[in-house]
Amino acid sequence: MREVGLLGLVAIAFGAGSYVATRDANQSLTWFHALNLAGGSLALLVAALASLGRLRAAAQPGLRAVLGRGLLGVLGAVALAVGLERAAHWSGLEFDWTLERLYVLSEATEMGLAELDEPVRATLYYDEEDPRARSTRLLLRALAATGRVETAEKKLGASPEEEDRFEVGSSNTVVVRLGDRFESVARPTEGTFYEALYRLRSLDSGLVYMARGTGEGDIERTADDGFSGLAQALLTEGYRIRSFVPAQGTPIPPEVDALVWLAPRRRLPETTLAEVRRYLAGGGRLVVFLEPGVESGLEEVIAEWGLRSPDAVLVDPASGRMDGDAPGVNPLAFHYGSHPISRGLGASRMTFFRGARSFELRKPEVEDDLWSVVLASSRSWLAEDLEVLERRSPPLRPASARSDYHPLVVAGRYQREAGETRIVAFGDADLASNRHLRTLYNLDLTLNAVHWVASREPAIKLLPKARVAGGDQFALPIQNTLTRFYGLGLLLPELLLMAGALVWVRTRSA
Amino acid sequence: MTPFWALVRKELAVLFGSPLAYVVLTLVALVSSLIFFDHLRIYNQILFVFASTTMGGFETDTIPDYVNLRDQVFFPVMENLGFVLILLVPMITMRIFAEERSRGTDELLVTTLLTPSQIVLAKFAVTFAFVALMMAASFVYPALAIREGGLGLEHLLAVFLGLLFHAFGLAALGLACSAFSRTQLVAAVGALALGFVLWDFSWASGFLSEGVIRFLEGIALHPHYRFFAEGVVILSHLAYFVGLVIVCFALARFSYDLRRVAG
Amino acid sequence: MTNEQAAAGPGRAANGGVAVEARELTRRFGSHTALDAISLRVESGEAFGLLGANGAGKTTFMRLVTGYLLPSSGTVAVGGFAPATHAAEVHARLGFVAETSRLYPDLRVAGFLRFAGGARGLTKGALAAAVESAIERFHLGGVASRLIGHLSKGFQQRVSLAQAFLHDPALVIVDEPTSGLDPIQQEEVRGILAGLRGTRTLILCTHDLTEARDLTRRVAVLHRGKLAAMGPTPEVLGGEDPLSLFRGREASA
Repeated sequence: MREVGLLGLVAIAFGAGSYVATRDANQSLTWFHALNLAGGSLALLVAALASLGRLRAAAQPGLRAVLGRGLLGVLGAVALAVGLERAAHWSGLEFDWTLERLYVLSEATEMGLAELDEPVRATLYYDEEDPRARSTRLLLRALAATGRVETAEKKLGASPEEEDRFEVGSSNTVVVRLGDRFESVARPTEGTFYEALYRLRSLDSGLVYMARGTGEGDIERTADDGFSGLAQALLTEGYRIRSFVPAQGTPIPPEVDALVWLAPRRRLPETTLAEVRRYLAGGGRLVVFLEPGVESGLEEVIAEWGLRSPDAVLVDPASGRMDGDAPGVNPLAFHYGSHPISRGLGASRMTFFRGARSFELRKPEVEDDLWSVVLASSRSWLAEDLEVLERRSPPLRPASARSDYHPLVVAGRYQREAGETRIVAFGDADLASNRHLRTLYNLDLTLNAVHWVASREPAIKLLPKARVAGGDQFALPIQNTLTRFYGLGLLLPELLLMAGALVWVRTRSA
Repeated sequence: MTPFWALVRKELAVLFGSPLAYVVLTLVALVSSLIFFDHLRIYNQILFVFASTTMGGFETDTIPDYVNLRDQVFFPVMENLGFVLILLVPMITMRIFAEERSRGTDELLVTTLLTPSQIVLAKFAVTFAFVALMMAASFVYPALAIREGGLGLEHLLAVFLGLLFHAFGLAALGLACSAFSRTQLVAAVGALALGFVLWDFSWASGFLSEGVIRFLEGIALHPHYRFFAEGVVILSHLAYFVGLVIVCFALARFSYDLRRVAG
Repeated sequence: MTNEQAAAGPGRAANGGVAVEARELTRRFGSHTALDAISLRVESGEAFGLLGANGAGKTTFMRLVTGYLLPSSGTVAVGGFAPATHAAEVHARLGFVAETSRLYPDLRVAGFLRFAGGARGLTKGALAAAVESAIERFHLGGVASRLIGHLSKGFQQRVSLAQAFLHDPALVIVDEPTSGLDPIQQEEVRGILAGLRGTRTLILCTHDLTEARDLTRRVAVLHRGKLAAMGPTPEVLGGEDPLSLFRGREASA
């Protein structure tokens, strides 16, 4: 009869399995499912009854007592199991090991809150059915833990006047109030909270000149290839932004905290270059974004400060193919030099470059400080043939090309009589375009470069990243994962199988 | 060395003296590594595609909600591994009791100072230790890869705990099947079928009443197991698996009474 | 049954030299009666043979004595203790030698003996000494580190015998010790068993008449679950056609 029971179990498994496998195509119970399920259940029942009958026939009163005690034990175990489960259920005890619970506020938010004179009030308006409120509550809890944010919750619709006044339109909205000013955050994440906080604070961080007029990146253009995002981020950080049009011949005033030059596409007039040279010599502050294949003249200017950039495309085979481009021409950087700009960045905090050039560092004077801030992987090399950017096939490394940690971003600090000059040069401008600014840690790198050049080191920080309920959206460096995959993910099973083979051989020969 | 520990040592020697244990360990470690790496790779790819092709900003979420470690990696890895364990765990449990019966060595065992409860306990303990080792082997790589990225190790621990208890539950089912079988094959097929049947009953919601479905879901593996992937460890779900082990233990113990009576 | 046997516990000394006593011992499997109201006594120190054709009920009797099975009715006691209720007391006095195949082929001889000793409560020094002396006594020195599954049947039977003597039991039950062995191996095993006579109670289950004649002083013959004959070995097996006992003849002794 045991066989009948076993067959019944198999039939039920097939009935259920086939139903699950085909339910998308066929919602109803077919004869195959029904026959298997019904037949299987019947077989189980018959087997159970037959076993009981067999036991009854076999067992004398004395033996029945033994069986009865055994069965009582099983029933007791069932009761204990159910009791345990129910007790645990009633206790309602649960341990939240989610990523949100472990949420650590970014240094940017912490800094922003610490600088406030009075606490911020944050009120969550929510609908009870809204699952998003959970992660918002956890965010508010983390904010409240700083002691600088007073949090409250209100059910949506409970105070309509207040909702009107604060422009609360939907559930899961947080109203942030500082003094008598307020900001309504409709999709609360730490990032949007941080933004609201900075708007409420209205800081003045300094004056930034952004060069325009010779094909530079456009800070007003909101399309993917524009740079409005960078301008917006600088404004949020409290910088005042002015356009600087070199062609007009206006001099760069000394009170400028940073001059940002976004990838000129044409050769700059000699007068402009002379003006830049003059500005830098007088303790100027420059953040320049270069592009391969363009000789604007700025390359020569910064080369005079020891930051020489050969006109070649950096190829980093470790980065693989992106967006259909040739593999390696879009470096994903996870090596950083020790410099304030790259503080906090590391293997899991990557930056992304799209068609970049590299630098060579040579100090103009012994006391000068030069840094490689961001470096490509050790497998990277420089392709002098700029056509690799257009092709889709993997670039071939000529024998003369040297694989090394080629720098993608460099920085220099120079003490001169007129003052301290600071320059940061990026080998790529696309990383700061609207399309890629929010990719990985590009924005942090770019803003921190401006902060450093403007001598605002305390403002250097990592910004909050977009967070959603239940998950971490940070990328894992696939290179490191790959190393672990070979080093453990595959090695461990291999070793285990070898151990098994050894045991097998030894048992055969022992 | 008490009789109990003598049996534990013997069970360990028998288990690790057989190549099958290593094959199962290999399969679990390999399958988990492959599944995890593949999901991680795809997650990275999706994340990167979104991050690099949408215009970001604090005001707009650059990446859709579903692109996160939980939904793209932890959930599918747990689902797949949980299902794979239904197939692999019986390979280990099938022999534990059934082999003693088929070889007649159970007769030798019961003439020693070991009580049936001790025998069952020792076999459960050794099997569980092996299952724990199996799950540890399957988690070394994910844990290190996740740690490398400085991401959600605690969440991964919840996933691990879920898989471990799920594997304990399956092992207990397998052991109970083995205790009632004379042949390993029957024990394995029984455990496999039972694992499949007990996995989930939501499929039956189309034609069974709500009350019945609620009861069936109460005894099913999957509804208790899946919460661990969320990163929330609920005591009642742990209690479910502990309860399952207790019931299976009692059944295995009962098999000795049954044998003394029915022969 | 339980009460009766529990009462028999303290009365063990009064039983004097009785090692095993069965009273009206009956075991049924469904409608089949494997053992039908068997009553017999085995004295302490005695070499007792349990004979019968295959299916006569020998193994069932033995399993009832070891406690592996429970009786349907009647009682059995080992040293005054009922296996059903006082398993620990019974098993402490009992060494059991199963058929050759009932061993763990994946274990090494010494490891298996250590397990068998440990399972019978021997610890540390006592266990090591017992294993060492068993290896010496049963001439297993050359194969101590080999897997049991790779030994010849003769050696496997020696291992089986060795494990039963580790804890120096007062009663040893040996089930078909020479079944499946070649004549030389049979001689070896019989030689070992002959050497054990007189040192402890020995119950030998066999269907081999020569073995019974050589090794036992008294025998009981079972036929279809009933006692067909019982008495001193030369008397019971001395007739012209002792095999007729196997075919069925009522107990006369």
